[in-house]
Amino acid sequence: MSTHNNLSYTDAIKESMLRSMELDDNIFIVGLGVSYPNGADGTTKGLKERFADRVFDTPVSEAAVTGAAVGAAIRGKHPVVHHGRVEFALLAMDSILTQAAKWNYMFGGDNPVPIVFRIAVGRQWGNGPQHTQALYSLFGAVPGLKVVVPSTPRQAKGLLNSALKDKNPVVYLEPRWLYGTRQNVSADHYFDELAKARIVKSGTDVTIVSYGDGVMDVLKADQFLRENNINAEVIDLVSLQPMDHETIARSVKKTGRLVTFDTTHGCFCVGSEIIAKVCQSDFCALKAAPVSIACPNVPCPTSTALTDHFYPTKNDIIRSVYVLFGRPAIDLGRLSFEELHLSPKFEFSDAV
Amino acid sequence: MTRDEMLKGYKTMLLIRHLEQRLVDYYLKNKVMSFVHFYVGQEAVAAGVCHALTADDKVFGNHRSHGHYLAKGGDPVAMVAELLGRKTGCCHGKGGSMHMIDKSVNFMGSTPILGSVVPIATGSALADKLSQNKNVTVAFFGDGASEEGVVSESINLAALFRLRLLLVIENNLYSVMSKLKDRRAENHNTEGLVTGLGAKYIKADGNSYIDVYEKAKQALGFIADGIPVVLECIVYRHMAHSAPLFDDKAGYREIDVLAERERQCPIRKLRALLSADLMPEQALDEIEASIRESCNQAVEQACAAPYPEAGEIFTDVYA
Repeated sequence: MSTHNNLSYTDAIKESMLRSMELDDNIFIVGLGVSYPNGADGTTKGLKERFADRVFDTPVSEAAVTGAAVGAAIRGKHPVVHHGRVEFALLAMDSILTQAAKWNYMFGGDNPVPIVFRIAVGRQWGNGPQHTQALYSLFGAVPGLKVVVPSTPRQAKGLLNSALKDKNPVVYLEPRWLYGTRQNVSADHYFDELAKARIVKSGTDVTIVSYGDGVMDVLKADQFLRENNINAEVIDLVSLQPMDHETIARSVKKTGRLVTFDTTHGCFCVGSEIIAKVCQSDFCALKAAPVSIACPNVPCPTSTALTDHFYPTKNDIIRSVYVLFGRPAIDLGRLSFEELHLSPKFEFSDAV
Repeated sequence: MTRDEMLKGYKTMLLIRHLEQRLVDYYLKNKVMSFVHFYVGQEAVAAGVCHALTADDKVFGNHRSHGHYLAKGGDPVAMVAELLGRKTGCCHGKGGSMHMIDKSVNFMGSTPILGSVVPIATGSALADKLSQNKNVTVAFFGDGASEEGVVSESINLAALFRLRLLLVIENNLYSVMSKLKDRRAENHNTEGLVTGLGAKYIKADGNSYIDVYEKAKQALGFIADGIPVVLECIVYRHMAHSAPLFDDKAGYREIDVLAERERQCPIRKLRALLSADLMPEQALDEIEASIRESCNQAVEQACAAPYPEAGEIFTDVYA
């Protein structure tokens, strides 16, 4: 089995797009600038040259373009719609939440809508209130969609491969914060399960659940915790809809402690949903009150003097876990400007 | 138009009218809990357009689509069963009146969030272009829906990609009870909007089966040349927006008062033309009686069908 050494998250997406389009003539991609030399943040680079008739730059008509892609999916094509920012996808919510998500159900089955909505979300320096929303819980709240958030380059490829084989509408949320991260990725055309959470690292003392770019921060925190004799179990949710509550419940039964980590607002966040479900299903398994770590309940500001205090970090995870174990607070110092504000060049190990 | 062609339209319009009329009675007597928008008065549009199409052409509809479904050849029993929430309904009870579908006759689905259907039909035409198919896709929607931005966006896309798309605006003068003049500037110009985006605009008398049929045929000619068409049919909605009732007392109707609606009734007008063509009155009465009877039978069959099992609430979330 050959491997691409240190493949970026961006290139992992591009590789999945390219190979999937080679294998299936029904796949095409539409979106603003997807045919540009460095289209879709580099994830569609070179696709237009390879598949001239299946890569469409489009007018700035998010609602019509997304709706037309849904129509083409209804008729048996397998479109990929790219929205470079979730704020633009919001102009097309009727097609995603009301049409694609319901079509098979409302017509009593046998009416598949095979489509992938690739939507870039989340933090990026200097982008402020209207360019950095994630809105994970919005998509997660709609049955009929499959909603995945790949956390590593390897997942980015395996989940997109699966999304492009699935018969259902898949919302594939790409945290742009991860585009520059790297990992060794198999050159095979492999498939990762869409609806299953994964235990990134097993442990016995505390369950830490995250997804998307949050997983990277949890892994950083886990390293510190390990060195300080706390053996955390790290869960990557992978899928927000449907959500794999069983994997979380089993883990909490074992560890008795739960921390959730969202890189978006804490109101109506994914962590809140997880905590609610754990409390309902096995309250007695908990040895301490669960903890939700998330951004404060304000729009994301632009100045770094303010975003310093917006996104939670690995240090917040460590501090929360220490509190759960009744350990005294420790001085973890401050993260560097680079670590707080610049998109990471993090290299994921082969183990995750 | 030949007598046979007129008769085909006459029968389709009678089927739509009588089946809905039968449902009006049933709705008023029974607790039918599917929201309903009746098509009474607009039958010439569905029949005229659908009869101009080939069997391969695809049709999408909206919240008021019993007529489009039936005119394209959709199964009447499955339609009634769906309205009555039965397992044998065209959506197995999950859709209701606003979700007609019969893919066996290329009626591809009706979806009631107004303009929503327009980009979906545009995408259907795009799929056919990518597959190099020659068939046309049609979307029916109303004058209210045509005011949504996504409709203009879609016309631009269709013209840009030269899609085989026919958009039929059924202008029944009201969005629920809101008059055109309360929603549009005095110099509003649908034709200017459509042609400005690069599509063709054709206007038809929606109360006339023959005019709709001929204008639809004309539209298909432009579409074959790669020019999408918006066909606006001016028509009267006889009943309230969404109830099996007349609503003349609501006070908003100006032109389309009851007497005028009766005078312009597309079925009555076509029958007059058939009579003028020396079709015997008795033969026309017999056709009507036979359609009325088949509608009674459709309702009877649907009423005898079982309801879905409780467990079916969980099926078909995913394909």
